[in-house]
Amino acid sequence: MTRQKYLFCYLMVAPAMLITAALGIYPMLFSLWMSFVEYDLLRVNEFGTPFVGLDNYVEVFSDPRFVQTLFNTIIFTILAVAATLGFGLLLSQVLNINYRGRTALRMLVCVPWFVPPAVASAIWMWLLNTDRSPINFLLQDFGLITSNVRWLTDSATWGPFSIPMMSIVAVRVWNGLPFAVIFLLAALQSIPRSLYEAAEVDGASLLQKFWYVTLPMLRPVLAILITLLVIGGLGSFEINYIMTGGGPQNLTNIMAVYSYQQAFSFFRFDLASASSGVIFLMTGFISIFYLRSQLKGVA
Amino acid sequence: MMTIAVPETAVRAGLWQRLAFANKTDLVTRVLVVAITIALLFYILLPVYWMLKSSFQPNQEIRVLPPIWFPTEPTAQPYTNANRLIPMWRYVLNSLFVSVTAAGISTIIACSAAYVLARFRFPGATIILGLILLTNLIPAITRVFPIYFFIQDLGLLNSYAGLILAYVGFSLPFAVLMLRGYFESAAPPELEEAALIDGCGYFEAFWRVILPVCLPGIAAVAIFTFLNAWNDFLWASLLLNQGEMKTIQVGIGDFAQEGGGVQYVNAFMAACVVATVPALVVFVFVQRWLVGGLTAGSVKT
Repeated sequence: MTRQKYLFCYLMVAPAMLITAALGIYPMLFSLWMSFVEYDLLRVNEFGTPFVGLDNYVEVFSDPRFVQTLFNTIIFTILAVAATLGFGLLLSQVLNINYRGRTALRMLVCVPWFVPPAVASAIWMWLLNTDRSPINFLLQDFGLITSNVRWLTDSATWGPFSIPMMSIVAVRVWNGLPFAVIFLLAALQSIPRSLYEAAEVDGASLLQKFWYVTLPMLRPVLAILITLLVIGGLGSFEINYIMTGGGPQNLTNIMAVYSYQQAFSFFRFDLASASSGVIFLMTGFISIFYLRSQLKGVA
Repeated sequence: MMTIAVPETAVRAGLWQRLAFANKTDLVTRVLVVAITIALLFYILLPVYWMLKSSFQPNQEIRVLPPIWFPTEPTAQPYTNANRLIPMWRYVLNSLFVSVTAAGISTIIACSAAYVLARFRFPGATIILGLILLTNLIPAITRVFPIYFFIQDLGLLNSYAGLILAYVGFSLPFAVLMLRGYFESAAPPELEEAALIDGCGYFEAFWRVILPVCLPGIAAVAIFTFLNAWNDFLWASLLLNQGEMKTIQVGIGDFAQEGGGVQYVNAFMAACVVATVPALVVFVFVQRWLVGGLTAGSVKT
């Protein structure tokens, strides 16, 4: 009986396992291997792929563009995660209160979820077009600016911050916000009402209720959400690649875009793999902690 | 797992009434919250409105400065123009074909794996689950290059099959995890225990008893995997980027190659609307069903 059961289990799980191994685990390991050998597409026929140890990592880390890109990625991720969480917490509260028109509001807030990243990039490029941005005209009407803001091309910087970086973060947050809102909304609904009632009896204000009831109750869900958002941010690609291609002056370049460019513009798959290897290390490290907490209850 | 429906409370007061009855400190908080919410709604809706508006503006109107917020003579001309500039409808059909096929394949494979991972304990189950979770978490860019070479070696670059294969690999872990959660909570073990006692084999119990009961959840997962594939740009830009077989997400990039001039922006935005609408329609049509399918996963029986 048990043998029959095990056979059934393995047969059922085999196709999924095979595909995950072939198109998930194996390519990840292969990519790591590529980061330890020379893999220049223009030289590979002649010289093959000799093992070079950490040379590729040394090479990317001595490239100031890569170091800048690494910092950009971290700043980009922190800003995007912080804004998504802040806005998400606020909106999920507003959508959790009971009032007329709430369902319509929920639908409206969810709309960017269904805009594909490529389309989101295209819309925002048009919306942020320096000469034709309606935002620039609005700001001018209010007398807040005198000359058009060059949303995606201004190369002035304040430390690691620049206008194009902020614009890209805004697009990223726009696209990712609905997911965070719905995620938090589901969690809010599982908080027992009695906790709020008890707080009300004690005369707690709205902010106090949020701080002492809602936030502590949301902690486990927030931990999951932050993990997912950070991993997503570190591996983010489409918006930066399409909207600015990393420019101007590398200000909006992030690691996935750098990696992609090394591979498909310069054919240096070894450097590309070293760069994506850094993403792998960072996200892998976070994932392990996440997995340990997630798998605790299983088997 | 996720839910949009909330139990109704007895009183359903208007937002403004609630504001009026609040105490002093709360009033400040509430006004602030409302103000920020309105600002956020502007941020959320402006891009969508701007896309729709631009896609219905005639050529001469889109060039006017300052930009016109409300088109005076809306026209569908940009949509026909878009299809003249790029084979837009062909791209949409490509996308539909690739996404539907990939969603179908990955849902079927995910179903069987998710079921045994949810229901049985067998040696290696935790490791398999861990690997699937890991693959789902680590960003795709860390495995793009080997998969590109792999598809190339199979001779499947610039073919539907290569892209479908990549999408199945990309969506499967997510589908397995979501369905596993669903099977765990939506289908009580008593169901197939009864079937087993009646003399069903394991597979028969799964096929005849569990699958029909879990259809809403399975449909929800299929839709999510469809959306994953439909929205994808990274894989499609690598594996299928030439000729008429492109997906719409890569295809709208053709406009950038047309010189990217303002004269094409209305057609460009029309193509963007077309690239968004199918996903939105799928969502609106199945929303109730979808939410039901997903929330069933969170209700303990």
